[in-house]
Amino acid sequence: MEPSAFDELAFFQAVAESGARALLIGRRALVLLGLPVLTADYDFWLAIDDIGAFNAACAPFGLSPTRTPDAARQSGRYALENDEHVDVLVAGSVPTVDGTRVDFEVLWDRKTSLDLGPGVRVHVPAIRDLILTKQVASRPKDVEDIRLLRLLLDEGER
Amino acid sequence: MTSDLRERINALTERHLSADEVRRALHDPVSAAEREAVAALVRWFTARYPTPLERLAYARRAYSRWQGVHASRVEPH
Repeated sequence: MEPSAFDELAFFQAVAESGARALLIGRRALVLLGLPVLTADYDFWLAIDDIGAFNAACAPFGLSPTRTPDAARQSGRYALENDEHVDVLVAGSVPTVDGTRVDFEVLWDRKTSLDLGPGVRVHVPAIRDLILTKQVASRPKDVEDIRLLRLLLDEGER
Repeated sequence: MTSDLRERINALTERHLSADEVRRALHDPVSAAEREAVAALVRWFTARYPTPLERLAYARRAYSRWQGVHASRVEPH
């Protein structure tokens, strides 16, 4: 089975050119960092003021938001959907399962940027910060991912 | 796979663990074998797909393959 015709590079280019401060989190960030895990969705943590720019970047790909920007800001989450599914976190900060506060601005300042192509950069949290984002949802697969990320971190520090 | 079974699996895999459950799960020591297996996996993946864009494309192909296998096992409604 072939993947759908979604142009992934064009999508990330549109997000980059929108100027929206968007961190790719979730399993696709693990893939970028070198861990071949199975994933269906795109997960972003977006600066709370950048919903409009992000949605406008996604619109040419037929991705429609599930909530208005105001409703998204209130709930802290929304999604953009068609055949693809993009989950978006829009909180200024979120707590981990053990109550540690994780701030978007702090993660943004420490982010790692990766080149996908000429002029196309995707931003992911530093590995230690990605581990923190995994402690927010804290599902069984998040715990598995944390173990993988810790090992990746250890390898990088050797 | 029936829709009922799928819902039960989702309930298990999507549930939120408590802080204690997370702590216990992460407290399990990593064996040398697990460490080497993960390191080997990363070495293979990053050598086979050296650029971030190639890795993303791999993820889309892998998910499509997974969907193809599992869609055929889902009973129609």
